[in-house]
Amino acid sequence: MFNLTLYKKELKGLVKTLVIIGAVLTLYVSVIITMYDPEAMALLDGYVEMLPELMAAVGMSAGATSLVGFMASYLYGFLLLIMPMVFAVLCGNKVIAKYVDKGSMVCLLAAPVKRRAVAVTQLAVLLSGIVMIAVYTTVLELAVAIGSFPGELEVGKLLLLNLGLLCLQLFIGALCFFASCLFADGKYAFGAGAGVPALMFILRMLANTGGKAEWIRYVTFFSLFNPGKLIAGSGFAIAGIFILLAAAIGLFVGAIAVFNKKDLNI
Amino acid sequence: MSVIEISGLTRDYGNGKGVFDVSFAVEQGEVFGFLGPNGAGKTTTIRHLMGFLQPKTGSCKIGGRDCFKAADKVQASLGYIPGEIAIFDDMTGTEYLSFAAKYRGLKDGARKKELIERFELDPRGKLKKMSKGMKQKVGIVAAFMHDPEVLILDEPTSGLDPLMQNRFIELIDGERSRGKTVLMSSHMFEEVERTCHRVGIIRNGRLAAIDSVSALKAAQLKKYAVTFESETAAAAFLKEPFSCVGYAGNAVTATVQNDITAFIAALNKYPVVNLSAPALSLEEIFMKYYGGNGNV
Repeated sequence: MFNLTLYKKELKGLVKTLVIIGAVLTLYVSVIITMYDPEAMALLDGYVEMLPELMAAVGMSAGATSLVGFMASYLYGFLLLIMPMVFAVLCGNKVIAKYVDKGSMVCLLAAPVKRRAVAVTQLAVLLSGIVMIAVYTTVLELAVAIGSFPGELEVGKLLLLNLGLLCLQLFIGALCFFASCLFADGKYAFGAGAGVPALMFILRMLANTGGKAEWIRYVTFFSLFNPGKLIAGSGFAIAGIFILLAAAIGLFVGAIAVFNKKDLNI
Repeated sequence: MSVIEISGLTRDYGNGKGVFDVSFAVEQGEVFGFLGPNGAGKTTTIRHLMGFLQPKTGSCKIGGRDCFKAADKVQASLGYIPGEIAIFDDMTGTEYLSFAAKYRGLKDGARKKELIERFELDPRGKLKKMSKGMKQKVGIVAAFMHDPEVLILDEPTSGLDPLMQNRFIELIDGERSRGKTVLMSSHMFEEVERTCHRVGIIRNGRLAAIDSVSALKAAQLKKYAVTFESETAAAAFLKEPFSCVGYAGNAVTATVQNDITAFIAALNKYPVVNLSAPALSLEEIFMKYYGGNGNV
C-alpha cells in the first residue's frame, strides 16, 4: 500500500519548493513577531483606523492585546494562510495530475505496484509537505516569540491556532488532491485545484471588509478557521477546524477511490 | 497456450475514434506484430493491456489475469515501451534507471548493465536534455532490465538510427529464442516482417486481418517507378502484362505482387535509365486486406 522508493524520490523533488516557502516564512514571521510592542501596535492600529477595509481584507484588526492575539490577527489572516496554500496547490497538482498529463505516470503504473499504492504514496508526500510546513511554522514562532518576549506567549493557545491552521491546509490540500485525481485533463485539474481555493480566499477577503459583504463569510470554507475565536476558546471555532479535518479525510479517501478506477490516457 | 488474450474489446471515443470489437490472442513464445497507420487504435488497445484503461466491453487478459483488476500482478512479469517516452524530466538517465529498478524491487543489475552496453547508451545526462533516440534507449533498458516474460512494445524503434534498430531486432530475436512473448506495434511493415511470426492489421479501430508474415509478404504489393530512355520504349513497355498505375512521357509506374522476376526480365528488354520504389502506405501495401476504399 506504500512505496518507499517513490516516496523518497518525490520528497527529494519537493526540497526546493519547501526551502523557498520556509525562507519566506522565516523572514516574514520573525519580522512580524518582533514588531509586537505597544508603540508598534499603536502604529498598526493606526493603519487599521485609516484604512479599515484594506486592513480587514488582509485579516488584520486592531486591538489585539496579547502576543498570541497579535499573532492571530497579523499572521494568520494572510501570510500563514497563503504560503502553505500555495504549497498545497502546487504539490497536490504535481503528485498526480501533472504526471498523468505529462505521461510520466506510465513509469509508475507499468510496474508491479498497485494503483492504490501509487495514490497513497503520493498522498503521503503531500501530507508530509503540509505537516512539515506546519511544524516548521510552529517551531519558528515559538523560537522567535519566546526569544524576543520571554514569558509573554501563551504556548497552548498558539498550538491550538496552529492545529487549526493545519486542518485548514489539509483541507485545501485535499481539494487539490481530489481535483488532481478526478480530472482527466491537466488543465482542469489545476484550474479546479488552484481556482477553488483562490476564489474562496478572495471571497474571504471580501467578507472581512464587513458591511453588506458580510454574508459572504457563509460561502467560503476559510470561515471555518477563525483565529480570533479559536484562541478565545469558542466551541464553534473548535468545531470548525474538526469539520475541515473530517472533510479533508473524506476527500482523501474519495480521491484515492476515484484514481483507482480512473481511465488513464497515458 | 495464449499469453495475451483480447476478446471483443470496444472503446468508442466518438467520431469513429477508438477500438471496436477487437479480438486476438498471442501465444507463448510468439512475436506478434500489431500493424496499423497512425490513429488506427494500436495505442488504445495497448493501454487496455497495460491496465491504464478499463474495458467498457470485452476483456483483456495476460497470463490468464485481468489486465485492469490484477494490473500489479500482470505488471510483475511485463516489460513495456510506451509510444512516447515520458520520463521524469528532472532526473538523469542513471538516476531514473536506478529509481525504476528499486521501484520494481529489482535487485540484480546485471541485465541493466548489459543492455546499456548493447545500446551504447550514456545515461548520465538529464532526461530533459536527451534526444528522442537517447530517451528511447533509456525506455528500452527500463522495459527489458527485469527480464520480463511478456513484452508490450509500442513503436519501439522510433527515434533509433538504423544501427540501433538492428541491435533492437537482435534483442527481440534473442528474447524470442528464450521463449518470451512479444506484442510489438508499428506503422511500418518492414519493421514487423523482420521479427514477427504473425501480424494483426488494425484500421479505423477494427482488426482488418491477422495472418502469418509469410502470407502477408505474398500479398504485399510493391510499386516501382521506371524511367525509360524514350517515350517509345515506355509505350512499348505498357503492352507487357503488368498493372501500370501511372504513365507520363517516358516514365511508368507499375505495381507488382509476386512475380518480381518476370518484372525484371521484362524490364531487361527495354532501355531503362532509372528504377525506384516509392514508399507505400500500409493501405497501398495491403490493398487486399483493406479493400478498395483507401480511406486513410
